[in-house]
Amino acid sequence: MTTSERLLQANALARTRQSKFAARNRLNKIALTLSLAAMAFGVFWLLWILFETVRLGVGGLALSIFTEMTPPPNEMGGIANAIFGSFVMVTLATFVGTPIGVMAGIYLAEYDVKGWLASVTRFVNDILLSAPSIVIGLFVYAVVVARFKSFSGLAGALALALIVIPVVIRTTENMLQLVPPALREAAYALGTPKWKVILSITLRAARAGVVTGVLLAVARIAGETAPLLFTALNNQFWTSSITEPMASLPVTIFKFAMSPYENWQQLAWAGVFLITAAVLALNILARVLTRNKL
Amino acid sequence: MSSTPLAGAPSPEHHVSSTFPASATALDLAAERGRARTAAPPPVRSGRSGPMADRLFGWAAKGAALLTLALLIGILISLLAGAWPAIAKYGLGFLTSSVWDPVQDEYGGLVMIYGTLATSAIALLIAVPVSFGIALFLTELSPAWLKRPLGIAIELLAAVPSIVYGMWGLLVFGPILATYVQQPLQSLFDGVPYLGALVSGPPVGIGILSAGIILAIMIIPFIAAVTRDVFEVTPPLLKESAYGLGATTWEVVSKVVLPYTKAGVIGGIMLGLGRALGETMAITFMIGNMNQLNSLSLFEAANSITSALANEFAEAGAGLHQAALMYLGLVLFFITFVVLTLSKLLLAQLKKGEGTKS
Amino acid sequence: MPTTTAQPSSPAKLSVKDLNFYYGKFHALKGINLEIPENKVTAFIGPSGCGKSTLLRTFNRMFELYPEQRAEGQIVLDGENLLTSKQDVALVRAKIGMVFQKPTPFPMSIYDNIAFGVRLFENLGSSEMDDRIEWALKKAALWTEVRDKLHQSGSGLSGGQQQRLCIARGIAIKPEVLLLDEPCSALDPISTAKIEELIAELKSEYTVVIVTHNMQQAARCSDYTAYMYLGDLIEFGATEQMFFKPQRKETEDYITGRFG
Repeated sequence: MTTSERLLQANALARTRQSKFAARNRLNKIALTLSLAAMAFGVFWLLWILFETVRLGVGGLALSIFTEMTPPPNEMGGIANAIFGSFVMVTLATFVGTPIGVMAGIYLAEYDVKGWLASVTRFVNDILLSAPSIVIGLFVYAVVVARFKSFSGLAGALALALIVIPVVIRTTENMLQLVPPALREAAYALGTPKWKVILSITLRAARAGVVTGVLLAVARIAGETAPLLFTALNNQFWTSSITEPMASLPVTIFKFAMSPYENWQQLAWAGVFLITAAVLALNILARVLTRNKL
Repeated sequence: MSSTPLAGAPSPEHHVSSTFPASATALDLAAERGRARTAAPPPVRSGRSGPMADRLFGWAAKGAALLTLALLIGILISLLAGAWPAIAKYGLGFLTSSVWDPVQDEYGGLVMIYGTLATSAIALLIAVPVSFGIALFLTELSPAWLKRPLGIAIELLAAVPSIVYGMWGLLVFGPILATYVQQPLQSLFDGVPYLGALVSGPPVGIGILSAGIILAIMIIPFIAAVTRDVFEVTPPLLKESAYGLGATTWEVVSKVVLPYTKAGVIGGIMLGLGRALGETMAITFMIGNMNQLNSLSLFEAANSITSALANEFAEAGAGLHQAALMYLGLVLFFITFVVLTLSKLLLAQLKKGEGTKS
Repeated sequence: MPTTTAQPSSPAKLSVKDLNFYYGKFHALKGINLEIPENKVTAFIGPSGCGKSTLLRTFNRMFELYPEQRAEGQIVLDGENLLTSKQDVALVRAKIGMVFQKPTPFPMSIYDNIAFGVRLFENLGSSEMDDRIEWALKKAALWTEVRDKLHQSGSGLSGGQQQRLCIARGIAIKPEVLLLDEPCSALDPISTAKIEELIAELKSEYTVVIVTHNMQQAARCSDYTAYMYLGDLIEFGATEQMFFKPQRKETEDYITGRFG
């Protein structure tokens, strides 16, 4: 091919490419603009929800929120019993669910790793993790409430614990797997028994991640309503007995928000503000922990 | 041209490194030996936990794992047992009957099942493209300083409890939706055959569409986070190969990155779907809680499995009403189980398919 | 540092003038002046970190994908400065093909891998596309090995075959320059030999620039060689002359294995 022939061919090719390019460029720009819009869309909702929660919730914040009980409609009051109930049930659920979750996570990461029981457990755990929380509530109802013929804070705490367990199992297993095998081997080489290697060495190395997992589980159950609806039910008055129906923030909010009474709705917003603040604080705390330690 | 010595080569005048701790005195081995003989050896620490502790610990761990299994089986059994009266009476016809009458004690789950599936479908329809757009933005478009804060913002959206969404949806978003979307849509499609029916009904901001939109906002963070994560681990060399051929950003992402990451993306979508199906509070606030299926309208109040349970279970007397509700719970559990298993099978299949095929 | 350049006898396809490159604050390429001759194979050699890959990646503006990297100066192709060209970078890249250190088949069939680039720029009917693909695969010496499995996944081929697939993919869009960034570093000796044969054939139609850390490969394959050290171009000239009678001591030290 002579130089001039080659030049002609190159020119023709350049022209073909150019003509097709205009359409491609337009498509690219449209796609990228849409993606920017999607990002703005997502951030917009977060900002709007947070803004409304703060605006409507802060207005109702007063000391009485923390000191007075849930009132009948159109009377003044607070949500102290709900806050207390939530606190009690979440704490109980965490203390019951975390050890079980951590031990099962240890089993999956340190004992059986590839065995059939481990695979089945992981699959089952995934199911429990994505099971609708209201189904967990149904289960606890059938097993505890129906048996003892009464709703109770204990049943509520149990339902919450059943939500904590799969979350903690998943994060514990993942964190333990990240610990380098060399660390374990060094401990074994010293003659340490297995249980001590796990508790004192491996778990300690994964400590930050495991704690983060627990914090995230707590944040999750702090806002859960469905499992409490027919286990702890609700209670208009103060109770510190977990064998009685117990008020909780989410259920109280549910009841108050769906009602037509203004003072109830106001209290509901205050409650929503409290829950959102607590959940976001826990999440940020979990983030800070992982950033420093890992 | 002068010959320069190669940088870093040691010149002969330097001593070997002077950074070693030069000890002033030589090691006195004889003295050391003497010292060792006179000092008492450290006492043997008794109480070496024998193999018993190890075995106990192992059993405890295994027991915890078995507890998880027992939990799942327990849930299935208790749901089945609770729903039995309804299953015995209606069988599978329960799934296609739309009668729900506590007074006459006649139940059928079609209304709720439809509500659950329709709201989840709407949620996915909105959430998947938006999540894809967000992941695209975070990985290809966003300036570096913006990536972290935006990523965190999306993850915080995932942490907000669903009751907050529900309440905000009912008291803030619903009215706005009614005024700016539903009413205009109604007047626009007034009289149009199918579309008109779709937007009929009282435009007060509740119904399947409203619930679906709130649900979409709830699941966007999950799908977006997973999609972004898998986009981020695409090998840069693969992307550079496509750019090197002269592809635009959109072409690289849609034709190379997306096929490469499709397993993870589908997994993320399934995760979001599972969440949408099981969501209770947001739906209960927004769906209207009426057991009717008179029209296909998206604006009419309706019901979903979760909202029916939330509203009616606590007061339902032990008997057929409760059993019917338990039956619904069982159906829901079954649906989420199927979605999860399908996604796992799909992921396993996709991984196999990308392997050697020659 | 002043470069020692022997004037190449062929006309220059790519002219590099006063090119400076920065990774953030780090000055990675210092005032590079170079003429890449047309239809010849030019090799960039030098120890690790000397900037040879960096220089290669400025030619198709691959560095623009990363915000902290920037280039100043001129890279002239057919009379136009690529760095400031008003043409979109995608069209610039269509003229300059690149093959990377590791084979990177796209997750699609062999046929679609090669058709990918062609479809971006041209509207070919299906039989024309078949012809183009056959042509590209023949040029890359891969046709006989894959003609029966064009619709199987590209990742099912051996390493050497995958790399030839990437070469075919790059050729299919009819570029004018081919950039090869250590194309054989992940391959066994037999595949390497096949690719080196291929390079010798390709130069009749394309201008080839190859980065290699293997001096023997440079000596075997290239017509011209550029020796770089710590961001400077030390010497450039005909390969034979560079390897047998280098004009700079630094070049001689590297070639005789004194370091690097």
